[in-house]
Amino acid sequence: MTLWFTAALIALTGAVRAEVLLSADEIEQALSFGPWPPSFHTDPSNRVSNNARAIALGEALFNDPVLSVDGAFSCASCHDPEQAFTTPEARALGRVLLDRNTPSLRNLAGLRWYGWGGKSDNLWAASLHPIIEEQEMAHSPESLKTAMSESAYINDFEAIFGVIQNQGPELVLVNAAKALSAYLGTLVTDRTQFDDFRDALERRDFPAAAYYPEAAQRGLQLFLGRGNCVFCHNGPRFSNNEFHDAGVPYFLNETEVDEGRFSGLNFLLSSPYTLEGDWNDDPDRQGAWAVRNVRRSHADFGTFRTPSLRGVAETAPYMHDGSLKDLNAVVRHYSKINTERLHADGEAILSQLNLSEQEIADLVAFLMTLSKAPY
Amino acid sequence: MIRSAFWFMIWSSTAFACDVTGQRMNSEVQNAPEVYLSVDEIPLARPFSVLVSICSETAVGQMRVDATMPAHRHGMNYTPKVTALGGGAFRVDDMLFHMPGLWELQVYVDINGQSIFYSSEITLK
Ligand code: HEC
Ligand code: HEC
Repeated sequence: MTLWFTAALIALTGAVRAEVLLSADEIEQALSFGPWPPSFHTDPSNRVSNNARAIALGEALFNDPVLSVDGAFSCASCHDPEQAFTTPEARALGRVLLDRNTPSLRNLAGLRWYGWGGKSDNLWAASLHPIIEEQEMAHSPESLKTAMSESAYINDFEAIFGVIQNQGPELVLVNAAKALSAYLGTLVTDRTQFDDFRDALERRDFPAAAYYPEAAQRGLQLFLGRGNCVFCHNGPRFSNNEFHDAGVPYFLNETEVDEGRFSGLNFLLSSPYTLEGDWNDDPDRQGAWAVRNVRRSHADFGTFRTPSLRGVAETAPYMHDGSLKDLNAVVRHYSKINTERLHADGEAILSQLNLSEQEIADLVAFLMTLSKAPY
Repeated sequence: MIRSAFWFMIWSSTAFACDVTGQRMNSEVQNAPEVYLSVDEIPLARPFSVLVSICSETAVGQMRVDATMPAHRHGMNYTPKVTALGGGAFRVDDMLFHMPGLWELQVYVDINGQSIFYSSEITLK
């Protein structure tokens, strides 16, 4: 009886284990993409970051055209909550056609850099710039103060930040941005099929892990191995939050280029809204070391922030200029990447992978599992 | 037992304090003072700190730290902050390795007006 039971157990585990394709080393690497969701931390640079009233005000403002000077746009016009906080255009359409693709606004809490070129080092600054950006909401601090005073939100605003007439226009602007940021900091993508797989591996529950499709497992193996993807897309968000050249052409037209990180750093280092500046609410200035110590280099030219891959299946098209229409196109781009065209000097990570059709399908299958079902 | 007594004699005969914990750093310079690097587990793409101890009888001047990834021909994106703790010990903050793989940690120490180069290899998973 006992003997039979043991034999059955061996047969069972043997059979199931065969379906988890990863080596011990790959399992260890897979664990580094979690756990998910991350625990919530308040943003010390924003005193209202965990304030329920500020979060509610931020959500209302985000969806209201009051934040644009002529009522033409809301933040949601480009970052549509119904469409994973982005829109399907390749490049954002503001007052003019902008140079870049609209990023999704989920999983932004606690990052080191914001924007494709990293022009902000905190979430309230990243929420503030579009309000005064001429091609977007086009407010001035003064017009924003007037609009806020006359809006339906004035009571909530004053309950959180005090009497508006006692605040200078720039303070009103920063406070509005901090309410927006309090809201944005709560947006997190759901758990996914990949997270179930990853957690089952952590528990050593191989039968449960084996529910994860083999195609996605092979795709993950490529992602960790020959594809080198994990060099830049790592950690629970699948991003190292630094700047790289992924071989996407950076010409805007025949004469202009998108300078990427190069101009992002110019902007950052002259901005009053960094963690080093006076608008930071944190006396310890946690995180300010990055803006203080960041290095400028010729290689910044034409590099862009590594995007997170969580929820990526919901946010086509891809890349900073929205030039790749679906995940299949992204994988084919990496497969046939033209290394001669890589503009940042030096970095030798990407090379032509020359993937087979099967491998392309596997990598896409893996990327799909980083989004919520039914993908 | 005998061995530790032997070490004790050597150390008690030297006039300076020196923390020999951690990994000894390499230098190509003949008779270069020993330098030790102490580091806890290094997190990927997040800031960390290291301790560098320089076992030199003469006073140590400036100390500079950097790191590169030889295979990818790039360094760190941030300049780390160096704080002298006295007795040849330095604390280095705001180091950040933004990619997994082999990194070379580099230390330049000014001793007697000469800049001596030390390095250590660290593999980050
Ligand atoms: C016209 C379309 C448009 C509007 C309107 C707009 N955005 Fe954006 N948003 C973008 C684009 C494009 C980017 C990328 C900009 C860049 O990196 O250069 C972006 C980037 C961001 C980021 C940084 C995201 C990241 O991944 O780092 C935040 C935060 C943000 N927007 C918040 C807002 C808020 C808050 C509003 C309203 C006040 C707003 N946006 C209005 C198009 C828009
Ligand atoms: C050298 C760092 C690096 C490596 C290696 C790398 N990526 Fe990327 N990835 C980036 C950067 C940077 C971007 C944005 C590039 C741009 O917009 O110009 C990006 C964009 C993407 C996007 C589009 C995301 C979006 O929201 O637009 C996907 C999907 C992606 N990478 C998947 C992969 C896969 C799969 C691999 C491996 C085959 C890989 N990456 C390897 C840095 C890297």
